Amino acid sequence: MTSTTTRPNFLEYGLTVGMTTMEGRGFYYPVDTALASDGRMYTASRTIDVGRGVRVTMFDIDSEYFGTFGSYGEGDGQLVWPSGLAVDSRDRVYVADEHLHRISAFDHSGNFLARWGTLGTREGELDTPSGLAFDAEDHLYVSDTYNNRIQVFTAAGEFLLSFGPKGKSPGQLNLPWGLAVAPGGDVYVADWGNDRIQRFSPDGKPLAVYGASGLGDGQFRRPSGVAVDPEGYMYVADWGNERVQVLDPDGGFVMGLRGQATLSRWAENFLSINVEEGQARARADLEPGLEFPADDPHEESSHIEKLFWSPVSVKLDAEGRLYVTESNRHRIQVYSRGA
Amino acid sequence: MSDVELIAHLMRRAAFGATREQLEASAAKGYEATVEELLNPGQEQRMGDDLIRRFHPELSGMLGSRGSGESWLYRMATTTAPLQEKMVLFWHTIFATGYAKVTHGKALSDQTRMFRRHWSGSFRTLLVELSKDPAMIIWLDNQDNHKRGINENFGRELLELFSMGVGNYTEQDIKECARAFTGWTIYNREYMELRSQRDSDWPYGRISWHFVYDPEDHDDGEKEFLGQRGRFNGEDVIDIICQQEATARFISRHLYNTFVADEPAVPQWPYAPPADASAIDQLCQAYFDSNYDIHTMLRVLFNSDFFRSRSAWYSKVKSPVELVAGVLRLTGEFERPRRELLDRFYQAEYMGQWLNNPASVEGWHQGTEWIDTGTLVERINFATQQLGDATRPGVRAMIERIALANGEGTSPEGLVEACLEQVGTLAVADDTRRILVDFASALGSAGGDPDSPEEAHRRIAGVLKMVASTHEFQRS
Repeated sequence: MTSTTTRPNFLEYGLTVGMTTMEGRGFYYPVDTALASDGRMYTASRTIDVGRGVRVTMFDIDSEYFGTFGSYGEGDGQLVWPSGLAVDSRDRVYVADEHLHRISAFDHSGNFLARWGTLGTREGELDTPSGLAFDAEDHLYVSDTYNNRIQVFTAAGEFLLSFGPKGKSPGQLNLPWGLAVAPGGDVYVADWGNDRIQRFSPDGKPLAVYGASGLGDGQFRRPSGVAVDPEGYMYVADWGNERVQVLDPDGGFVMGLRGQATLSRWAENFLSINVEEGQARARADLEPGLEFPADDPHEESSHIEKLFWSPVSVKLDAEGRLYVTESNRHRIQVYSRGA
Repeated sequence: MSDVELIAHLMRRAAFGATREQLEASAAKGYEATVEELLNPGQEQRMGDDLIRRFHPELSGMLGSRGSGESWLYRMATTTAPLQEKMVLFWHTIFATGYAKVTHGKALSDQTRMFRRHWSGSFRTLLVELSKDPAMIIWLDNQDNHKRGINENFGRELLELFSMGVGNYTEQDIKECARAFTGWTIYNREYMELRSQRDSDWPYGRISWHFVYDPEDHDDGEKEFLGQRGRFNGEDVIDIICQQEATARFISRHLYNTFVADEPAVPQWPYAPPADASAIDQLCQAYFDSNYDIHTMLRVLFNSDFFRSRSAWYSKVKSPVELVAGVLRLTGEFERPRRELLDRFYQAEYMGQWLNNPASVEGWHQGTEWIDTGTLVERINFATQQLGDATRPGVRAMIERIALANGEGTSPEGLVEACLEQVGTLAVADDTRRILVDFASALGSAGGDPDSPEEAHRRIAGVLKMVASTHEFQRS
């Protein structure tokens, strides 16, 4: 780990979007967010035990709500275990489903277009597809999680290539999850089970490995997502450590974020209507001075609401803002580039 | 009796059953060594929390009404420390706390974790931790137990259901006990209680609860409790409770009821003597000799003649969760996280046991009360569907082992015997065996090429399924 200068103001907190809701406006155990060219955002909710509320919610950074699409089930346009999301150059939205082992495509408004994928290990078959990302040519990179590989398809679902057998060596993968295509075309994969980020060329040649197992700066515990900006800075959803880390283009540690959520517009709206709850909340101490073991940030985040809790996905918009989707807090914290 | 048969009995009671291979490995070590392994399981191997949370975000955060139980079922189905989980279930059954009132899955999950930390340690420590447990505080209203106005609910149940049993204390003792626990509450009581009452997840999901002691709200005055006088706080009251013969008998009878043989329902205990008074005496002796150490009591119990006796075998009905977890360990369905976990959880619920949501503070009634016409059908359907499904890795492995050992020309009697062995050395009555052999014979003449491996596998799967439908399989 080559630690470089720490820059604590590299990212600055902006705002929080979202709120817990079983249905409609809001999220319930969201797993990923994707952004369209016009700023519309799509967040997939995995929901809880009864299937109710599985959906993709459409909204924007100003908390405008545009409705939902998808519902629980196995039919066209339905979802059981939605996972990764990606938007292509024509603003079509793709959703991976880890239970149905398929990819479904929708238009900008959420109308179902097509789906493909069957369970299997052969070329083009999938076992638990999760992270999705498009390159500039609309090739779709898919984390084929239980096959421990990345598969590349055309936007229509035609198989192009795959890389990364199971293992620990460079180029090998262990239950890969989120992934991103950098502006230059290289592919960055959150190699979840190996506690590292791997960088591949567009055709799958291993180029670099960043990070190792641990709690320290530049180390990861079960990273779930990665985003890369035009300068090559990496933003890593260090999911098991309940934080986001920024690495410089060479992998040097830049800064870590633990989360500082505030009330979203939807949350403020809820508390202003439910006055008794709002008042009780105002009287409560939401940052109790508890001590937690350093290796158990999951527990700490369960007690202190503003902290990231299960920061599963990191995405960048065209203006360089970072969107951190938190499964367990049902919201998105937004950060901007600072000093 | 062979060691394998005796160890099979031990594993049905102190674990969730075992495969034939596990039983043979244990028999090679011996019975007492196997008891020690169960009591001291070492580094536990199981499906990890990170893997569960990765695929089940709903089992990661604040957990809905079933989330805490689903995570626990994964653990029961995959752990290498099964006695620990049996004891967690034991404590949950006695200290029954339910989602219906608590409406906070994480708080219930935290309680389960607390039971796991103290599963076989000091009973005193466990009672102290239980009294500080936020889910228990809300479940029995101790947040409303104030210096200037006591709420007796927790104090009463601590004595009646958690330690001594009716008839061993007075109404005044209950009041004094409640006074001792004034000021034992949860942090941010008002906001947390309001959200629980409203079942409010808004805006960002629930917030974890934690215990807090409020000295300003504690009644520090003198109390007289079970004949002793002092300015008792909660821990002092628990010290006095643990010294009581009634407490030793109460916890001994619960252990006997769970691990050895059915006792009457708890409310009848003041009026009905134990089935085996000498066994209870031995366990009480262990309780006091070890300074209330549950680990010591369990060692005495599992090594006793009354536990090992053939008369105890198959005398108990598996609870729904024991049945489901045991079947899942045989089928190996959850070698990785799967959506179907919820279906299995529901199946235990349909059989009458919704983990972390018992019907009342009394918990579940055990024994034959698990069985009625509806639940029996659920239980048999579940067991036969799962063990008859040759796509499950555990079932496939059993079929292959039987086929390999017996070849294709096995007699119906040999096939039945092999299947009974594979599901954990199941001993069946002569009538049951005759029915199974008749069934295996009929399968053998049902057409198809009798010499083909596929046909042999089909027959084995059919007999395994039939074995799962026997009443012996439903018992422990």
